[in-house]
Amino acid sequence: MTVSNRPWLAAYGAEIAPDLPTSEYASLAHLISRTCETHAKRRAFTCVVPNGMNGTLTYRQVGQMSDEFASFLRHHCKLAPGTRVAVQLPNGLAYPVVAFGVFKAGCVLVNTNPLYTPTEMVHQFTDSDAEVLIISDLFADKLEEVVAHTAIKQVVLAGVAEFFPRIPEAIVRGVQKFWSRALPPVPSLAVPVLRLRDALKIGRAHDNVHDWDRLRRDDLALLQYTGGTTGVAKGAMLTHGNILANLEQVKIMGGRHMSGEDCVLTALPLYHIFAFTANLMTFFDLGARNILVPSPRPVQNIQRALENYPVSWITGVNTLFNGLMNEEWFAAYPPKTLKAAIAGGTALHQAVAERWQAVTGTRVAEGYGLTETSPLVSFNPLDQPVRVGSIGVPVPGTDIALVDHNVEPVEQGKPGELLVKGPQVMLGYWNRPEDTAQTLQNGWVFTGDVAIMDEDGFLSIVDRKKDLVLVSGFNVYPNEVEDCLAKLDTVLEAAVIGVPDRTSGEAVRAYVVQNPDVPDKLSKEAVIAHCRKYLAAYKVPKSIILREELPKSPIGKILRKDLKAEARAEFAGKA
Amino acid sequence: MLTELETTLLGVMMMVIMLGMGASMTPRDFLIAFRKPKGILVGLLSQFAVMPFLGFLLAVALGLPPALVVGLLLIACMPGGTTSNIFAYFSKGVLALSIMMTTVSTLAAVVMVPVLLSFYGGLAGVSGEYAIPAGNVAQILVVLLVPTALGMFLRKLNANVGATVELIGSFMGVAVIVFLIATWVPRNYQLLLDTPAHVYAATISIGLIGMLFGYWVARGLGQDTSRSRTISLETGIQNGPLAVLVITLSFSVAMQQEVLLIPFLYSLFIVLTSTVITLWYRRNATREALARDAAKLGTAP
Repeated sequence: MTVSNRPWLAAYGAEIAPDLPTSEYASLAHLISRTCETHAKRRAFTCVVPNGMNGTLTYRQVGQMSDEFASFLRHHCKLAPGTRVAVQLPNGLAYPVVAFGVFKAGCVLVNTNPLYTPTEMVHQFTDSDAEVLIISDLFADKLEEVVAHTAIKQVVLAGVAEFFPRIPEAIVRGVQKFWSRALPPVPSLAVPVLRLRDALKIGRAHDNVHDWDRLRRDDLALLQYTGGTTGVAKGAMLTHGNILANLEQVKIMGGRHMSGEDCVLTALPLYHIFAFTANLMTFFDLGARNILVPSPRPVQNIQRALENYPVSWITGVNTLFNGLMNEEWFAAYPPKTLKAAIAGGTALHQAVAERWQAVTGTRVAEGYGLTETSPLVSFNPLDQPVRVGSIGVPVPGTDIALVDHNVEPVEQGKPGELLVKGPQVMLGYWNRPEDTAQTLQNGWVFTGDVAIMDEDGFLSIVDRKKDLVLVSGFNVYPNEVEDCLAKLDTVLEAAVIGVPDRTSGEAVRAYVVQNPDVPDKLSKEAVIAHCRKYLAAYKVPKSIILREELPKSPIGKILRKDLKAEARAEFAGKA
Repeated sequence: MLTELETTLLGVMMMVIMLGMGASMTPRDFLIAFRKPKGILVGLLSQFAVMPFLGFLLAVALGLPPALVVGLLLIACMPGGTTSNIFAYFSKGVLALSIMMTTVSTLAAVVMVPVLLSFYGGLAGVSGEYAIPAGNVAQILVVLLVPTALGMFLRKLNANVGATVELIGSFMGVAVIVFLIATWVPRNYQLLLDTPAHVYAATISIGLIGMLFGYWVARGLGQDTSRSRTISLETGIQNGPLAVLVITLSFSVAMQQEVLLIPFLYSLFIVLTSTVITLWYRRNATREALARDAAKLGTAP
């Protein structure tokens, strides 16, 4: 079923080896343990809060502390290998210590969004059957509602400034507690609650046995929850081998541009698969330094991190790049040490990519991936000229196919649903054989994304299959319309959805946000006139809605589904 | 009057405050601020053109004696106080603008305060023993710039130290006012009782009128409501403790008593008036945000 001649292999050039080497490691725990020895004295993680206060852990410290946490899980909590451990932390020094400790204990990491509501938490913890929860102390007030409904038998609390030097840590906690009043008291629960430092102390008292020696590549490493089309979050089962393969793939595509001397800005949340693999695992594997930003919103929170450290790589999504360039401090003084940026998560708008290049003098290379594929599927080779709008070529070891409704391959140059096969493909969805059977067939992942491949093997995503707007029988891809809208100076950001329409079945509706830095007022008429100039008539939005902001996911993807839900409610009311 | 120890303590506190102010920014913040300098220029205009003139008008209109005129003029000519940043924060104003205005007005004060003082002092007929030597003011300000520069350097050297110093500095901004009140009021309550109502009126209204004018000057020059509120607070809130320090370092102990009256009263009342104004501004800011939300919903077809 694959694209028979694999035209993308030619695009690899001399820089990219077409064969994916098997990882030298048997498991992530193996990799972590070895890397912490090799780079012992180097700085692994630095966490920077908005006022510039920071804390750093070296590779040796990360190795030691994650050993202690692993011992805590195995010997104090008495977890068997393969037990699920839920981690609900924003970016900070606690995250790598805890996540790596989970791997070293042979347990399975369940990444959880810190902003989840109690209902969402209960769903994720019961679905995964997690037994230990490590949660940010900022959200301890949710525990009372949650823990009783789950199998959790131990809670560990970690602070945003965990492992900072003593005075800055006390100040950050003091500010949270007395100034912003964001630090709730620890509730009394039926299960024991410990602070992370104390858990490490307990772990230290036990012998550090290498429980992970028995781990193999096809053992489960993560349950990575993803919304998917049905709306109910389900856990993609990613193995140690999946992640190991994917970080090899990232490293091959990064080639000589990535090294242990690098410093990567990690403003995207680590509980999301993009930053987890690209930042946390790949740059750690290289012996590089991660600059962790607990919350990139408002974007100004990143300012001190970029000013104080020689950031050479940035991973981000369209909204983050756009947000950075709309900050004067960034646009006027972009980081001099920057080599390149990696974009993913959602479509990168042409206008944003071009402006980024103009502002920073470096390229932003777009990649494509999904939770089910650990995540990277395709990436733009860094040594080739920028192909605007392309998500690049499949990474080594990855096969792709583009198919129509009958799962027959489409002609070259025609849009089809993108299917992916490779060593980074998940085992399936946790306890959901039906969903697995739908998404995963004969090793192929059905991505639900419509893509086109050019003759050189470069892919472009046309849109999400389910986001297509059908106007009088014509397909309108929201991405194309959004891209057109983003070219208008007065538009900060835009989202396009389909709404019911009496005459055309569906009609295009655009939500636009005024760019505050442009003195001209955004007007519906100007937007429509602009679209008429560049788009076929049926693609031009029939209604324009001005908004102050658009709904976004934790990593900053614009959530069309929320706008659709709003529109559904609105039209249901009219019917 | 202040004892020598208290004066020294006041000087040290001012230095810590300036150290904190320096640590709150980087050289780049300056460069960025001056790429679009309009907000700051508007702020400077209301700080050094509007306020001193208001001070002069009040002094003349109320027919104050020379000792009080000097105190009032000095307060009117002072740069912005660092406490204004806290009020800007609570009023949901533009914090960056507030910090920059405080910094820039403090720098500009080295030249502006001596010039303005001798100009308005001359106009108001203050002379002889009551005239504050221009060199004195400039000297004190220059001395205070040393910790400011040191603060910036500390921030560059170590971000943790910088941010800690910044925080201590802003606490000190409040502490110094408490210190002044605690040392001065108990010894001078008789003086407070004897002080006529129009002197109270002058000290309270200089801050309030400054805020009023600051707001409308900013609005008139095209600043939005949020920036105008920030400029308004910045204009009305002067560096009272600095005025006290200048006086204690410029006048004999015997003369200090009277000259200090207005700066002390000002420092006391500005905390109260700013709190009220901040609460009011905060409500306006919230109301505007709600109105924007409503407008959003209104645009739905």
